[in-house]
Order: sequence, then structure tokens, then C-alpha cells
Amino acid sequence: MSSKPSSIPLIPSVSQSLDVSALPLPPEHMDASPRSNGFWGMAVFLVTDTVIFLLLLVANIYLRRYSQGPAQGALDPGTTIWFSLGLWASSGALVLADSFRKQAKVSGLLYLLTAALGFVFLYGQAQEYLKLNAQGATVDADLFFTGFYTLTGLHGLHVAFGALALLVTGVLRFRGLLDGRREGFTAALGLYWHFVDAVWVVLFLLLYVWGGP
Amino acid sequence: MTTAPVPVETASAPLSRPRNLTRWLSTTDHKDIGMMYLALGALFFLIGGVEVLIMRLQLARPGNTLLEATTYNEFFTLHGTTMIFLAVMPMLLGFSNYLLPLQIGAKDMAFPRLNAFGFWLTAFGGIVLYLSLLEGPPDAGWFAYAPLSERPFSSSLGTDFWAAALLMMGMGTTLTALNIIITTARYRAVGMGLWKMPLFSWMVFVNSFIIAFALPSLSAALIMLEVDRALGGRFFQGGGSPVLWQHYFWLFGHPEVYIMVLPAWGIISEVIPVFSRKPIFGYEFVAGSTVAIAVLSFAVYAHHMFAVGFARPVNLAFAASTMLIAIPTGIKVTNWVATLWKGSIRMTVPMMYAIAFIVQFTFGGITGVSFAVLPIDWQLTDSYYVVAHFHYVLMGGTLFALLSGLHFYFPKMTGRMLSEGFGKPAFWMITLGFNGVFLVQHALGMMGMPRRVYTYPDLPGWGALNMFSTVSAFVLGLGLVLTLINIVISWRIGRVAGDNPWQAWTLEWATTSPPPKGNFVRLPPIKSSRPLWDLAHPEDPDHQRPTRHDQQGKGHIRLEEKDHEQ
Repeated sequence: MSSKPSSIPLIPSVSQSLDVSALPLPPEHMDASPRSNGFWGMAVFLVTDTVIFLLLLVANIYLRRYSQGPAQGALDPGTTIWFSLGLWASSGALVLADSFRKQAKVSGLLYLLTAALGFVFLYGQAQEYLKLNAQGATVDADLFFTGFYTLTGLHGLHVAFGALALLVTGVLRFRGLLDGRREGFTAALGLYWHFVDAVWVVLFLLLYVWGGP
Repeated sequence: MTTAPVPVETASAPLSRPRNLTRWLSTTDHKDIGMMYLALGALFFLIGGVEVLIMRLQLARPGNTLLEATTYNEFFTLHGTTMIFLAVMPMLLGFSNYLLPLQIGAKDMAFPRLNAFGFWLTAFGGIVLYLSLLEGPPDAGWFAYAPLSERPFSSSLGTDFWAAALLMMGMGTTLTALNIIITTARYRAVGMGLWKMPLFSWMVFVNSFIIAFALPSLSAALIMLEVDRALGGRFFQGGGSPVLWQHYFWLFGHPEVYIMVLPAWGIISEVIPVFSRKPIFGYEFVAGSTVAIAVLSFAVYAHHMFAVGFARPVNLAFAASTMLIAIPTGIKVTNWVATLWKGSIRMTVPMMYAIAFIVQFTFGGITGVSFAVLPIDWQLTDSYYVVAHFHYVLMGGTLFALLSGLHFYFPKMTGRMLSEGFGKPAFWMITLGFNGVFLVQHALGMMGMPRRVYTYPDLPGWGALNMFSTVSAFVLGLGLVLTLINIVISWRIGRVAGDNPWQAWTLEWATTSPPPKGNFVRLPPIKSSRPLWDLAHPEDPDHQRPTRHDQQGKGHIRLEEKDHEQ
């Protein structure tokens, strides 16, 4: 059955080693999709991001049942909707920018506009935080607000990161430094930004509009 | 589909690259990054090992006073965190990084710079964790149960360092998993369908999906914990729910077990066929059961929480799913054993580790199933029986597979063989030492010794068994040191290996050892899961066989393969 281990030489003789170098060159690899690596990589990353947001949202919804008092009443959806519209409008600007980019038209200013709308949202959110804190609606005040600040804060971080990246992309494209290059990066950034916008739709509805369980 | 000609590189390419610090700091080559992961893992394995030896010294005698209770808490917290996040995972990611592009015939990963970024996030995470020593190390255990990990009960900054470190490392691992998914999906050589991938690549690929869904759960939990600790949030205290932490932690923590063990299974699935000189038995089942495990790994998480006090149907559902996961796992073990069956076995060091793996992992798996039985879990939870069980899985399973893989792939990585003269004594010391440490802990657990205690009363048998465990721990440690010496010496003066020293048939052995930058100059045509066999045996290629079973009633081995001599 099994032969004695010591009797078998482990190094193959030269004649037995495989001669791969005599083979013809094969094509390199299968091209599975017309979309770029960057796009798919970002797609996978956003799946992981979705899990984080989802779990934080579940925690917020679950803990809201034990929240004392009408905590949500401190929120002002009427004001929030205005800077939210800025964020959602930025997605429109980005769609336009991406279509310009794909047609090889000048797209730099549109990317800058998208970034600017993102910063408008961040400014609005900062104002909202200051107002809420002045009313005593702080992170440690209430179970609802612990979740509220965690979710909106994490989302705000995402917006800040995306807006900075859009700013850099916009400036580089404006100066003609990115044309025809880094298409994968720009595609990935576009996907990211639309995701961040979509998350805000969910957060706005569940935190500001929905009354809770 | 035409291609540009591949620039022909000489076999001496790796030697001509600059050998200095800048190269290692700036490299984006998947092989370099893989080896850096391995080195990082080895370094922290050493640190975690020293920590546990000090803990074992404290536990050697009843009523010992070497460590104080608080210090002991800090030690087991650091030991657990280090071993899981800084030793085992980096080493597995190291193998994944090194081998996956080679096995699928790719030049590099899909995102080489992201790959390097992931490594440095992990490395800096390790530094951040150990910087906590300046502020008072974390002391809430690697599981950091709230509210024990909350500010009132863990007032030093240690737990904050711990959370920051884990967030960084988690992000690094997630990015690496993303990279692996895209690489496997898009960079497989022409002809390599998913069902022709080597099993290691298969398991690493599936594993990356587990990582992508499990690690965000840890990140969410850590964010919540830090909001509590730093901003006074109330997720887990002050009206919040401590059990919520356990849900989120174990929703990550149980899949984490499979994150750590799947690549290890992949290594074993590569080693056993090569040294049995047979194709793996039931390739499709070994690969396919991985998917079942990936799905089930999330469905069983609450079996860590049977003692929390769920409603009975919840407990029963998780008990059932936990027992179910033994089926795909059992399929794998059966297939490995069936591959050994009637094989022409070469008892090399990697094979010895692989066989020890099968025995120990099976044992750990069976004690795992015993925990699915609720009354047994209620009786034995938080006792040394648990300690014994998970060390049998994570050490007897994963570490032995890592050592097997290290001995198996060392020639590919360095171009030199590891010495068997060092390897065999080290194997016996590690195996006997390991079983000596943990086998007796099953008994200690059943005798009622609780885990996470810094000392214990002098009850009958406890002192002797603990002393036996401690002595064995030092034997184990010595064996590992011997392995380290073996690596250092063999790397310098070991026997030159050649391209394919083990007569293996997967793609990574078709290139030079170590492989040049860009991995392959030419690739053989890929028509089955063992392209090199097809190339060496055009008269009997894998893809022309109707079945893996021998048609002449000689069992399922191929005589010519059994007698394949040099």
C-alpha cells in the first residue's frame, strides 16, 4: 500500500520536470464583464457598508421601543428636507456628469457641482446637530438619539468622504488631468455617491417620518 | 480574444529586485504582501504565545500568585485578540494572497495597491492594540461583553484602543476579501471555470463572501460600543440592551470561526491529494459543501448565547442549525479520509500535519456538536470544556493546517526545502504538546473548572491536571520555536527545491520557485482541475476520464498515479 517515505526521492529529476515554457502563449484571462474592476469592487464594498447601516438601523428601531418620552418630536423634518433635497439633487448632477464623461465631453464642473451639493448637505446637518444639542437632544439624552446620531453621523462621514473625493475628481477633470484615465475610479465613486444618497432616503423616512414601532 | 505578448522574464527576476526596506514598504506584489502577512502573523503568534505561557504558569498550581486577577484579565484579552486577529487571520490572508493568483493563473490581485493598504491597516491595527499597554491594556476579553466593556466597568482607555484596532483590522480584512472576490471573478486564466479551480482557491473565494457579510457586523458593534464609551451613548447601558452586543458580536463571531477554518481546510485539501498521490475524492462535494457552510455559519450564531435565556423555540432552532452544520463539515472530513484510502502515501512533514489536523479537527468538531445539545451546553458553558473545544478547532485545526501549508509551500515561496530533520521532531513536540495541553482541559471543564479565572482552589485532581497542561504548553512552545529555527536556517542553507518538489499538479507549481514578478511566463492549457497532470500524462488526462472511479474494479485510484515515481 503505502511505500516507505524514505525510499522516495522528493526532488524530481530534470527529465521529469514539466516543460511549461515550450507551450504557446495563452490568452491572459477571461473577461467576464464590460464594467470596470473599480465598479465591481465598489459594489462589493457597498454590500459590506449596507450590512453596517442595516444593523445600526435595526438597533435603533429595536431600542426605540424602550425610549422614554416623545424623543423624535425634537426633530424637524421640515428643515431637514431642504438640505436633503440638496443631497438628492447632487445625484442628478452626478448622472449628468457621468453621461458627459462617457461622451468624452468636459465634465469637471458638473463633478464640482455634485461635491458642492454634498457640502451643502453637510452644512445643513451641522446646523441641525447644533440646534438639537441646544435643545438638550444629545447622544446620551435618549435611546432614540444614541441611534439617531450614530446613523446620521456615520452617513455624514460617508458624505464628507465622497464629497472630498468628488472635489478632487472635479478639480483634476477640470484641469484635464483625468481625461481618459481612471475611468474605473470615477465609476466606483459614482456608484458610491448614489448609494450614499439612497441610504439617506431610507434614513430620512425611518428616522424623521416614521413614528417608530 | 487576442492578447499582447507577455514580456518574458527570467527566472532570476525576484533576486534582481531591490532588497531593502523601501521595497517591503512600497511593494504591491501579491507574493510580497502574502509573505509580509505571514511574517506579521508569525510575530504576533510569538507574542500571543508568550502571553499564554505566562497565563499557564499562573494556572500551574492552585492558589498561585504570579499574576493578579486584573492582570490576568488583561492577559487573556490580549491573548485572544492577538491570536485571532493578528496571528491566525493574517497568516491565512498571507496564504490567500500568495496562492490565489498563482492557483488561478493570474499575474496579481485585481487591486494591488488596495491589497497593500489592507495589509498596512492590519499591521497598524496591531500596533494600536499594543500601544494600549501605555494606557492600561483592555481587560474585557476578546468578546468584550457589554456592559463589562462599558466605561463604568472598564475605565482605562484599553478597550478604546482595542475597538480602534479591531475597526482598522476589520476594514483591512474586508478590503482584502473584496480584492479576492474580484480577482477570482475576473482574473482566472482562460479555461479555468469555477469548477476547475483548486480547492484552496475555492474555499478562499467562498470565505471572502463570509468576511464581506460577517465583519461589518463587528464594525457596527464596535461603532456602537465606542459611541457608548466616548460619547455617553446608551446602546448597551442606561436603558439599552446588553444582549444586543452579544447578538451583533456573535453574528460576526461565529462566522469568524469559519473565516479562520475555511482557508485551513483549503490547505488540507491541497496537501492530502498530493501526498496520497490521488486526486481528491469528491472534488465537487468538498467545494460545494463550503457554500453550505458559508450560509449555515450565519444561521448558527446564537448557539454562543444559549445561556442568555431565549425562548425555547429560538434555542431549538439554533440547536438544530448547529447540528446541521456538522453535515457539510463531515462531508469534507469523509472526503479527506477517502482520499487517503488506498493512496500511495508519502509521510512528509506537511502530510503529518495534515493527518494530525484531521484527527484533532474531528475531535474538536464532535465536542462542538455536543454544545448544540442544550442541556450539555447549559452544564458546560463557560467551563474549561469550552476552552478545550475551541482550541481543538482553532489550534488543532487551523494552526496545524497552517503549519502543513507552511511546510508545503515554503519551497515555492523561498526556493528552498524545509529540513525534515528539524521538521519531524518539531511535529511530534507540537502534536504531543498540543494534545497534552487541551485534552485534559475537557476533564477539567467537566469537573467544573470555570474559564477566565486567574486561580482556582485545590480541589482533587485540578492541580495535577493543570500542571500537566502547563508542562505540555511549554513542550508545544518549544516545538514552535524549533519550527522557527528550521525556517530561518532552511531559508539560508536549505536544499534547493526546484519548481515542483512535491510532484503536485495545480497551477502554482508550473512557475519557478520563488515565482517571478508577474507569476507566469507561460501557462499550460487548463482543461481540468489538475492542468499539470494533463500536461505530464497526455495519454490519460483528467478531463477525458468519465469518472474518478477506476473502471477496472481497482477502487478509485489510478494505478499509474500510484506508481508515479521520479
